Amino acid sequence: MKSILGALSLFTQSVAADDAPLFGSSKLLATPGVVQIEGAGGSGLTTWAVISSYGSNREIGANAHYTLTATQDYTLNAVGARFGFFDKVELSLTRQYFDTGKAGAALGLGEGFTFHQDIMGLKVRLFGDAVYAQDTWLPQVAAGIQYKKAGKTDIIRAIGGQDDDDFDYYLSTTKILLNHSLVFTATARLTRANQFGLLGFGGDKTANYSLQFEGSVAYLLSKNSVLGVDFRSKPDTLSFAREQDAWAAYAVWLPSKHFTVTAAYVDLGDIALHDNQRGFYLSVQVGF
Amino acid sequence: MKPLSIGTFLFMVISFAPSTLASSSSLYNALGEKDGIARIVAHTLDLSFTDARTQKQFIHTKKGRLIGLITDQICALSGGPCTYKGLSMKKGHIKLGITEREFNALVEQLQTAMDKENIPYHIQNKLLAILAPMKKDIVEH
Repeated sequence: MKSILGALSLFTQSVAADDAPLFGSSKLLATPGVVQIEGAGGSGLTTWAVISSYGSNREIGANAHYTLTATQDYTLNAVGARFGFFDKVELSLTRQYFDTGKAGAALGLGEGFTFHQDIMGLKVRLFGDAVYAQDTWLPQVAAGIQYKKAGKTDIIRAIGGQDDDDFDYYLSTTKILLNHSLVFTATARLTRANQFGLLGFGGDKTANYSLQFEGSVAYLLSKNSVLGVDFRSKPDTLSFAREQDAWAAYAVWLPSKHFTVTAAYVDLGDIALHDNQRGFYLSVQVGF
Repeated sequence: MKPLSIGTFLFMVISFAPSTLASSSSLYNALGEKDGIARIVAHTLDLSFTDARTQKQFIHTKKGRLIGLITDQICALSGGPCTYKGLSMKKGHIKLGITEREFNALVEQLQTAMDKENIPYHIQNKLLAILAPMKKDIVEH
């Protein structure tokens, strides 16, 4: 007990000596990226290697987001929060609601049938500095894990899904080329998720993990705006409906570190027997 | 994927190198040459000396002398006809215990100063790209 108190007082002393607040937002504007579809730090579809908060190496930061994706036949709502610890570790929590609308009736599920999914993510920065290491091609590299738990287990089984929960594993690299105002990200993901996990994990075609790719190129247009494109490949494990790769073109508006709006045009491909699902994506985040 | 892309990367590095050199002197012009750079540096340090996040690092610093040194440094790095005569970044900041928070604040002050001089954002980023690697010698680990 004594040693715990000793350690605590040492800790508070070192914090006090620095007289900088533990909760803070001192990273540069736009450098933490925004949020991706599974609630981790990134852009719309792509997970980035940056830690998604404005907290620098001695700070803790947090963000909350609401994201709406609407295609011809479906609506996906998501709410979540992300925490960045010392620009080293990112923790994310998100809940997604996938509303099948009229398509639900056509699929025999009933109109407005809604799948949901909870996603817990952990990302650890391994090495590299995406922002400041401008004298090397070495990117910032992070590894992450996402635990996904889908609802509607019986429906997932009925369409051929193997499981209603699973882990995704990814390795992400992000490089900012400040000289050209460009940000590149490439991420490899091991996954069995059908439609990000909303339709379960593994299927009747294959129950195995597959290696999928996420990529993003963003242009830093001005201090407060970023334009970009995203690509993401996805597994195709269910024989009842083909799953295709997705892409998006996005614009981010960052009036401050505490409020960010992302608007995108998305093409998610075929989803559950409904072809060419295209539409818009709108994400709002607040944080410190 | 690996061998080919590394080869492609190397090719890109080599082919970028001359254009980077060529763009250096135009960066000097885009920053408003020595007078423009001096105004940017003076405004940046005005902010650094008063901003609560950074002022304590400058208590014992002679502002005029520092403006001259950094102006020469940026002038030289951006392709201008100047010579930097100060200490290396590592020697100049040893034992100051400069934190990432303080360093980022200084970058923001520099951005504010460049905004004031109407330096376009993509030009600002070109200067920041040259200065960014100094972070590892300036910020304590």
